[in-house]
Amino acid sequence: MTNKTAVVGIGQTKFRSKRRDVNIPEMIYEAVKMALDDAQLEPKDIDAIIIGNMDHFEGINFSELWTGIDAAPGYLKPVVKVATGGTTGSSLAICGYHNIASGIYDKVLVVGWEKLNEGGATTGIITAFDPVWERPSLAGALGPLALMAGMYSAKYGITSEQAAKVTVKNRSNAANNPYAHLQMPDITIDYVMSSQVISYPLRLHDCCPQSEGACALIYANEKEAKKITDTPAWFHAVETAHYYTFGTDDKMYDLPTATIASKKAYKRAGIKNPIKDLDVAEIYEPTSWSELSWTEALGFCKPGEGGKLLDEGITQMSGELPVNPSGGVLSTNPIGATALVRVAEAAIQIMDRGGKRQVPDVEKALAMGFGGSLWTEVMILGNEPLR
Amino acid sequence: MSKTRKGQEDIFEIKWKTDLPYRYSIGKLAVKFFEELKENKKILGSKCPKCEKVHFPPRAVCADCFIKMTLDDMVELPPRGTLEGFTVVNYPFTDPSTGGIRPFPYGYALFKLDGADTYTMHFVNETDVTKMKIGQRVEAVFNDELIGDLTADIPYFRIIKEEE
Amino acid sequence: MDKVAIVGCAQTKYEEDKIDLTYSELVFDVVKQLHNDLGISNDDVGCVITSSNDFNDGRTIANMAIQDAVGSVRKSESRVSGDGAFAFVYGAMRILSGSYDTVLVVSHCKCSEVNQYLVNNSIFDPYYQRHLGLDQISSAGLMANMYMNKYGITEEQAAKVAVKNRKYALSNPYAHLQKEISIDDVLNSKMMAHPLKELDLPPFSDGAVAMLLTNEEKAKKLTDTPVWLKGYGSCTDAYYLGHRNMTDLIALELAAKTAYKMAGVTNPLKEVDVFEVYDAFSFHELMIYESLGLCDKGEGGKFIDEHFDSQLPINKSGGVLSSNPTMANGLIRVAEIATQLMGKADKRQVDGAKLGLAHGMNGICSQGNCVLLFGGE
Repeated sequence: MTNKTAVVGIGQTKFRSKRRDVNIPEMIYEAVKMALDDAQLEPKDIDAIIIGNMDHFEGINFSELWTGIDAAPGYLKPVVKVATGGTTGSSLAICGYHNIASGIYDKVLVVGWEKLNEGGATTGIITAFDPVWERPSLAGALGPLALMAGMYSAKYGITSEQAAKVTVKNRSNAANNPYAHLQMPDITIDYVMSSQVISYPLRLHDCCPQSEGACALIYANEKEAKKITDTPAWFHAVETAHYYTFGTDDKMYDLPTATIASKKAYKRAGIKNPIKDLDVAEIYEPTSWSELSWTEALGFCKPGEGGKLLDEGITQMSGELPVNPSGGVLSTNPIGATALVRVAEAAIQIMDRGGKRQVPDVEKALAMGFGGSLWTEVMILGNEPLR
Repeated sequence: MSKTRKGQEDIFEIKWKTDLPYRYSIGKLAVKFFEELKENKKILGSKCPKCEKVHFPPRAVCADCFIKMTLDDMVELPPRGTLEGFTVVNYPFTDPSTGGIRPFPYGYALFKLDGADTYTMHFVNETDVTKMKIGQRVEAVFNDELIGDLTADIPYFRIIKEEE
Repeated sequence: MDKVAIVGCAQTKYEEDKIDLTYSELVFDVVKQLHNDLGISNDDVGCVITSSNDFNDGRTIANMAIQDAVGSVRKSESRVSGDGAFAFVYGAMRILSGSYDTVLVVSHCKCSEVNQYLVNNSIFDPYYQRHLGLDQISSAGLMANMYMNKYGITEEQAAKVAVKNRKYALSNPYAHLQKEISIDDVLNSKMMAHPLKELDLPPFSDGAVAMLLTNEEKAKKLTDTPVWLKGYGSCTDAYYLGHRNMTDLIALELAAKTAYKMAGVTNPLKEVDVFEVYDAFSFHELMIYESLGLCDKGEGGKFIDEHFDSQLPINKSGGVLSSNPTMANGLIRVAEIATQLMGKADKRQVDGAKLGLAHGMNGICSQGNCVLLFGGE
């Protein structure tokens, strides 16, 4: 028996490269407090806490036992941690869904966070890879992403200019999002294309930043949701697709897991034509190139047509399916919170609370997480419960 | 504890440095791989006895068939392959083997060894992207002295020029 | 509550050092054994929930290393970073939400690959506590001492727990330590952190455990002896030891109350036939008796005295004091209860066991607790 599940409260910190003014629990508390205030709930109203980050970035083991108590109202409540790399935020979001949909809890708090400059992201990322086969020749997450971009470009003739346009779109969108880290209202294609090549074909501005911050969402079941808000954002589908242990095992010019997960999600949510049926998408693009490739994998266009989709303006704010009105991952990337921010922003759009970044009349939104050995999570949210 | 001033705010920070050493089990297939690399300059993969997919790096589980591969399923692969993707890394990154910053730029390629069904990543001896093309042939360059270490014994793959 | 069944479990033998196995091989072996026992293939598994810990495995995203081994290629897998009992709960939720018919739950741990003192010290915050060098043993020593002083518990009473569990382990083929010990052995073993001696504490072990959860319909097809989830409660205590009641496990008590209420249990000692609890140290099990309501507060010592010579159905597996692959401990407790309720526990079987309790734990000194009640038939 599936209980309808909705996002009813949202909090996020202003994301920055460093938050040296606060410690870890203080930083997380900002987002938690905002979410509680947003839903007009007290800590006692929350049944359970689902919280996560990536341990090695901060060097804190069982971080949920600290942050779940000192930053979130987890004292004498269930606190669970879910951590799956880049997808940590979406895995938290999906775990929260099952907490409510199962009927076990009525209201839960889902929190993703990262303060990665405290531990050095390099260490965190190196240790994600196989110590025997991958680490010796590894160059972090960017190496494989650069290979992917190069192979994608070679396969379909996507140009650096098209990739640069993604950054321009997302970082100018970010200027409309008060929480975004890199806000560049006047960014140009030339500016992106004249930035340093850091791992061919990736230029500095083709890549996501590293941000610090936290995101907190409150979920409720149907009965509770209606008491809290007139505009809950309802989950219609949550799907995950994983892949081989080694990310490099298969060809890397596309993202098969995004295709598998999105097809399943569309089926569950009754979406036949994603471009028409979805009103907005918040996707997890670690590089500009990956947004183009991911839009193909998510079925927004045919394979190889991601560049064309962008050129035709379909993914722009004024287009048929705006992608990343928030500015996306290219503007804000607080690892353990990144994919949860996608869900938060999709919910904001459904609730019609996006301010300058609001897309008009949003009924259905897609949120995506990406990480690990090229795995994907896809969530569909709607303004009515799925019947 | 250190206190610094940034703008209007006092910032307090604590430095924490602890080594957390690990001893990883690498498994029987990897042991065999490194023995053959060291003793006989051979590169081994593992071939699934059911679907016959040849995995490199060698591993014990064929994910598609969900069966185990053993030492008997290890097959020799030629030290040559075909380039499928490349990049040139132009940013500083900690070398996990030394703990220091690895000198950059360096070439980095995704390729299939001949006879393998999976791709693999390694360094290549080229830092000029205009000289790299998908479909180029690559060949392992072995160190004179072999010690049974992946990057020490095969420091890089070289791109075989067309005229060769 | 709708129904969630455990239809099968598989465990490895727990050992000091499985140096010959990678994480992938360790996990694959136990999952494959489960498939074989149930006569299913990987295609029959809807999704996977794993439990592991990045500090223990020395890998960020530790579940990445076992994707092939849990059979999650093209499927959904998620990882609870914590004790395996919490992964069980997430797996059960995925059945109850109606999203999946079958969920594979797997937990693995190899304590042999890293210094456990450093791993446990990293649980303490780097501002105030970590510098003190606290770990699971020294903090347990603090707790045991405070408990002992408050309630007049003796070291001998605690030693009886170790003697009982180590004796039970002789009947469990999976148990790591399989050597009977006496009360004197415990009392005379090396002092680690007063009042805890070496034999008051568990070993460190390597191993893995897997189980398949299903909805009611699938359960009937896969087994004649499904084990049903009847009750669940989870509760987390304060983070700082100084903020806690160190003599009573109040978070465990609350978790148990919630689980009992859901399952309709009013007198656990009478109604629950078999218990598997997370005995992180000997005194801890005495405290657990109290928190689970098997005896009054402060009576844990008296309780073991009264039942020491009986076949007390608590940790018939030998408990954590006999096998301690840390992250897997909670899921092992669940697997042992399921095995008991299926009537398949051989020499360690509690005759006629119909209702069982499993307890999982995260962190230092019972901070995060999970209590699960299961019934057969």
